[in-house]
Amino acid sequence: MRNISAKLISLAIAGAAAFGSAASFTASAAEPYDVYNYDRWGEAIPSQAGYIADRAVSGIDLGVGAFSSPSDIFRDHNDIFYIVDGGNNRIVAVNSELTEVVKVYDSFTMPDGSKTTLKNPQGVYVSAENDWLYIADNENSRVLIADLEGNVIKEITKPTSEVYDQKRTFLPQKVIADKAGNVYVVLGNITTGAAMFDPEGEFTGFYGANRVQPTAEIVGNYITSLFTSEEKKARRRRNVPTGITSFDIDGDFIFTCTSSSTQTTDTVKKLNAAGRNIFANMELAFGDYTPMYDTSQNKVLQPAICDIDIADDGNINCLDFTTGRVFQYDEDCNLLFITGTIAKQVGGFDHVAALETMGENLYVLDSQKDTVTVFVETDFGKIVHKATALHNAGYYEEALDPWYEVLKHDGNYRRAYVGVASALLRKGDYEGSMKYAELADSPRIYNKAFEGYRMDWLKAHFGQLILGLALIAVGLFMLARLAKKKKAAELAQHMAQEDAAAEAEHQQHVREAARKAVEEMAEQSENEGKEDEQNS
Amino acid sequence: MMDLTTKEWVKHAVTHPFEGFEDMRWKKSGSLKVAFLIVFLLFLATIADGRLYGFQFGVSYDKTFNIIPYIVKSIVLFAAWVVGNWSICTLLDGEGTMKNICIYSAYALVPYIAQVFITVILSHFLIQDEVVFIQAIRILGTGWTVILLFSAIKSVHQYSFGKTVFAIVLTIAAMLVMLFLLVLFMSLVQQVYIFLSTIYTEISYRIRV
Repeated sequence: MRNISAKLISLAIAGAAAFGSAASFTASAAEPYDVYNYDRWGEAIPSQAGYIADRAVSGIDLGVGAFSSPSDIFRDHNDIFYIVDGGNNRIVAVNSELTEVVKVYDSFTMPDGSKTTLKNPQGVYVSAENDWLYIADNENSRVLIADLEGNVIKEITKPTSEVYDQKRTFLPQKVIADKAGNVYVVLGNITTGAAMFDPEGEFTGFYGANRVQPTAEIVGNYITSLFTSEEKKARRRRNVPTGITSFDIDGDFIFTCTSSSTQTTDTVKKLNAAGRNIFANMELAFGDYTPMYDTSQNKVLQPAICDIDIADDGNINCLDFTTGRVFQYDEDCNLLFITGTIAKQVGGFDHVAALETMGENLYVLDSQKDTVTVFVETDFGKIVHKATALHNAGYYEEALDPWYEVLKHDGNYRRAYVGVASALLRKGDYEGSMKYAELADSPRIYNKAFEGYRMDWLKAHFGQLILGLALIAVGLFMLARLAKKKKAAELAQHMAQEDAAAEAEHQQHVREAARKAVEEMAEQSENEGKEDEQNS
Repeated sequence: MMDLTTKEWVKHAVTHPFEGFEDMRWKKSGSLKVAFLIVFLLFLATIADGRLYGFQFGVSYDKTFNIIPYIVKSIVLFAAWVVGNWSICTLLDGEGTMKNICIYSAYALVPYIAQVFITVILSHFLIQDEVVFIQAIRILGTGWTVILLFSAIKSVHQYSFGKTVFAIVLTIAAMLVMLFLLVLFMSLVQQVYIFLSTIYTEISYRIRV
């Protein structure tokens, strides 16, 4: 009787929540925050919401009592959600609608028939291959592998291998398994990567350690270490990278994230089977580009990606602990949407812990609010996702109409301009492509479009171009000749003038000389006359 | 001999890297007006270089336009060069006056300015694969200006090769010192401004109470 009434109440609450969500949908723009995105210059600009908070589900809504510091949420291949309720030492399996509890795992049967309980579990994973449950049983220092009925199949405890420093603790935080059955465990206080175990449960080594970020201090330390003694070196604080915080597996790749207030490199990695980071040299930044400065705490709010999830369509969702935001990237790491904030309302968070996706929905687990918040895709989100998927698969022309639709919703959405420019380029509409490439601030696409445009222009105007060039050449030639002639004429005139002047001068000389001679003669005759007078 | 107009003197100086400036000095020619015009063209060229390149060669931040960096990069830089060189070479027995240093240095900038305008125009017709043409013109123009500038300093002060190198290195050091003092002065002014504004705020609060 009591059970039935509890169920009824929970149904009523769920119904009310559903009704409330419907109401909020019609009202639209119900997010308790300003939705933004980034432009080409890394500056925040207003944008349309890709996701909208639908409802928040608590343990009470599910009828299993309030969660206590839940730390992980995982969706398996049957769309069953597993919520790790660490404070209550249990794992709650919930159906895909998040309305009914399927099963509560709080004790397991060991192979020898004895019962075992969990102690502050932190992570869960269900493999699609054999329906096994992998539980990071943190304070029991073990990874529990059980079937869905709760029968323990295997237990992984602290490795005895020499590779594993025996002074270190073994505190599993997150666990995943790959298709081959290898188990990867993120451990607290271990910075050398995730511990890797083979299907038999034997420790095989560490996987995917972060690199040390080469800050000025570390480079300086390296230089001084060249001159310091061994004793001194041994006493100095070692430079260790931050350990992995969480990871997710998608096909052959493992995506890891690192939440650190100091490290900015390697915060999100895509690792192949050999442990090589595909994103290593791509200069990507995850989280907010320009960290906010918090005046009340006098510190810069560095993004701290605390969980990562790869959606079915390949989009990468990163959960930022600092700002309570989900950053969604497409598979090429282009930012799509930013969702969530730190707030009391539905859609806002206090201490985000984990992130999961199903189809078009996002599920964010908050370890302080003790709820799972469900975000559903908006119309805008739907078009963007459709366009992005087509674009990334290479169907540029098919993506053209969705991109135009995106631009109708949000004229600031840069990816849409890139998409339209690429599609028009593929179509051969170079002029349009140039226009959109300029709007998208993408010199790369503009360059290709311009190359095509120039080629077309040359083909169309080749005759005129040659004619024009010929005319210019002839014109220049004529001009040069004219100038030469003019110069020659000027020179001739100049010379003639000089000749005339010289002639005139010469004549004047002659005239003067004649005059002088005449005067002299006259003088002489006068003198002679005088002499004559004196003589006489 | 060598009775050239002002325009022809610019042409002569630019096209004769080794004797051009010597000739100019011998004939005591060169116009300050033309020098200022060239520096103004340098200012325009700096803006063109930062703003008017073809879109395929990269985008410039077009949300705001701040003219101060362009002024600093052209006019202030040139002024610092002239003043720095004059103050150094006065001590190093240089024969050039401030006016002559200004004129000769400005004339030497012509190839650089020409290069900027040519590449800016070319950048609207070329694609990224053909960037080598732009680079070649850039290197040519800039190199030519460097040679001319060297020759200008050498002739204006009547220095030997080695002494010119020495003087130029010292000039650059002097420019850095000037920059340092300028920054120091700016921060001092800022401090004084903050001090005064604090006093003003304090007094205005007291008066209100």
